[in-house]
Amino acid sequence: MAHPRERWTGKELDRRQFLARAAAAGVALPSLAAIMEACSNPREGTTSTSKDPAGDGGLWQPGWPYPLARQDKPVTWNIFPDNQPIASDLQPEKNATLEIYNWDQYIWPKIIGEFADKYNCEFKITTFNNMDEALAKMRTGQLSFDVFFPTIDVLGKLISSKLLQPLNQDYIPNLPANVWDTYQDPFYDAGWQYTVPYTIYTTGIGYRTDVISKDEIEAMSNPYDIFWDPKYKGQVGIYDDYREAISMTLLRHGITDLNTTDPATIQQAGQDLIDLLNATNVRTSINGAYVGIPKGQYQVHQAWSGDIAAAWFYVPQATMANYQTIGYWYPKDRVGAVNNDCLAIPANSKSPVLAHLFLNYMLDFKNAMNNFSWVGYQVPQKQADPQTLTTTKSVQGEPYIFPWLSEAVVQEEDFKTGFLELELEPSVDALWHEAWSQFQSG
Amino acid sequence: MRFGTRPGASSRVADTATRASRRRGNKRGGGEGVWYPRWFWPSFATPASLYLLVFFVLPLYVIVSIAFGTVDATFQSPRPIYQPWFWTSQYLTKVTRDAVGYQRGVYIRTFIYVFIASVLCVLIAYTVAYYVSRFGGKRKGLFLTLLIAPFFVSYLMRMLAWINLLQIEGYVNKILGWIPFVPHKVNWLGGYPWTVVLGLVYGYVPYMILPLYGFLDRIQQSLLEAGRDLGASPARTFMRVTLPLSRQAILAGIVIVTLPMFGDYYTNNLLSNSPKTQMVGNLLDNAVNNTGQGPLAAVLVLIIMIILLVPMAYYLRSTSNELKVST
Repeated sequence: MAHPRERWTGKELDRRQFLARAAAAGVALPSLAAIMEACSNPREGTTSTSKDPAGDGGLWQPGWPYPLARQDKPVTWNIFPDNQPIASDLQPEKNATLEIYNWDQYIWPKIIGEFADKYNCEFKITTFNNMDEALAKMRTGQLSFDVFFPTIDVLGKLISSKLLQPLNQDYIPNLPANVWDTYQDPFYDAGWQYTVPYTIYTTGIGYRTDVISKDEIEAMSNPYDIFWDPKYKGQVGIYDDYREAISMTLLRHGITDLNTTDPATIQQAGQDLIDLLNATNVRTSINGAYVGIPKGQYQVHQAWSGDIAAAWFYVPQATMANYQTIGYWYPKDRVGAVNNDCLAIPANSKSPVLAHLFLNYMLDFKNAMNNFSWVGYQVPQKQADPQTLTTTKSVQGEPYIFPWLSEAVVQEEDFKTGFLELELEPSVDALWHEAWSQFQSG
Repeated sequence: MRFGTRPGASSRVADTATRASRRRGNKRGGGEGVWYPRWFWPSFATPASLYLLVFFVLPLYVIVSIAFGTVDATFQSPRPIYQPWFWTSQYLTKVTRDAVGYQRGVYIRTFIYVFIASVLCVLIAYTVAYYVSRFGGKRKGLFLTLLIAPFFVSYLMRMLAWINLLQIEGYVNKILGWIPFVPHKVNWLGGYPWTVVLGLVYGYVPYMILPLYGFLDRIQQSLLEAGRDLGASPARTFMRVTLPLSRQAILAGIVIVTLPMFGDYYTNNLLSNSPKTQMVGNLLDNAVNNTGQGPLAAVLVLIIMIILLVPMAYYLRSTSNELKVST
């Protein structure tokens, strides 16, 4: 599954990313050890032999290596005897370098710099382009990072393979003190044993207010229909992400199970996308919301709230009038797609104490809000009143979210009324991919 | 005579060679020339062969092993199987079934785009190369430098530049606005086939100009003069002399540009992004970026390779025929 920060996927590849990608390809080449291992027994590992799931609760069937978390079926992950949390009251590592493994442009380096000054360490950011690439590199075991930014749909893989270490909560008092109650016991990691929340976002519709007025889109009986409106032909975009695109068509039909396993429903959603193609020649992109809308390349584009909040950085000329061309729609009853990202500590971290301190640091109110102002993705902080986010100026000199984008503010209740796209069982995932692939073939 | 023309030198070498062959009981005659062991000249191919083995044959085998392999149960990442007797063809079956099924349009579209783009490339490149080689005169060096200039900027950078130029409020539309009766609010990036085809032409035409120029420049002026002397009009001379002589160059140019065009996906991604303009390269790109579809990507690599072997084989055959004719 793709992700808000998966901003290029080959769509806008600058030289730096190209080099990074080439390097990733080099690392991904199988090592000699992998070849030798594969030579001995090719079929081993292709079917799971696990009799016990890696956690309690969730959806699980014999043969699955780990359970799938659902909003109504929380998962408590196992703490394995050979993968224990660190002891309490340790001193931070001396002369250490905090190794951060993150999406590109998904954390304000200034904030890490302040952390490094405070704890007298160095820091280094390594970036990845998508979760698959990140998992592949971490699995080699040859790279060690201290802080990782997983999406919630890969936690089962990471935890059952012992790639993450359980947290010692003594180091992270800021979570109980500052973070929304929802995340004191999240369904995807009950008791937050392995992760702390990082950002939260909704998926709605981004649009140009100089083409479509706010009243116009709100007056529509079903605003999702706007993607199918031939009036905007050639100016319509959806995310290049099979889950987000198909989920949008499901929501359009009032289907709220965004993890549906029903082949007919998935097939119908795929057909809707093909109709969309014929109606408006829709284009797929990853940066269409935060670059395309401010620059006028799209009039309507599916949008993550965080992309829209950050889109003002990309207007051709920095004027208030240009900022006001950016619009965002999310259902008034707040029944739509929501999601959140996490912070976690890899099992082979060389500076686990610093890593714990860093997680705590990022959950501090001031640090979290400053980071929010830079990346555009909201943080689940109790003190951040959703009512005043559109009026309080951030360190960037503008409100965290402009007043006319108030729908982009995420509220804690959204995680009760909204729906998350979660991990699918591989055979179901293949159905989703098939529907998407038919759309993509035009 | 293998070495030089100085008689003294040649006989000295021949003496040494005869002595050497006598001493080793070598029966090789061959008159003059130095004796070398049988492996001497073939050994020159060793570096290239090793390079091919390590950087082409082995990786290709890994791709084949992934195409006929399987995926990891937990991570859904490709797991290559290196023993052919364990291979499974399930992914090959899926890709070929889709290729004749819902993805048929993508393959047909790819052929059409590549065909149109290569024809346009030939037309543009031939005129440019012809002009430089025939009428370049003293400024040939300058022209050559200008022809090579695009290679200094990466393909990707040039495409990214076009995104800004082609925007609705971009410079291309601004310039069109100065010309009366020409539409100047064109949504170039709205996902249209012609944007992609023109992007392909723009991206690959330099690769065509250089080999064409190389060939055309070598056509002897005297042949053209002979054509004119025998009473042919300039057009007829061109049709009967220049064009046939440059046939091989055109073929070489076409092969050079079509090979990368068939696998191209970023031109499409950058200039269109519409599923209606997806090419085979995009299918591959999508498969690589989707969890669990690694083996499908590997099969697509093999399919694209097989498609590309056809023009390559034709080119090799035709050049070897021409070599036979010319010797």
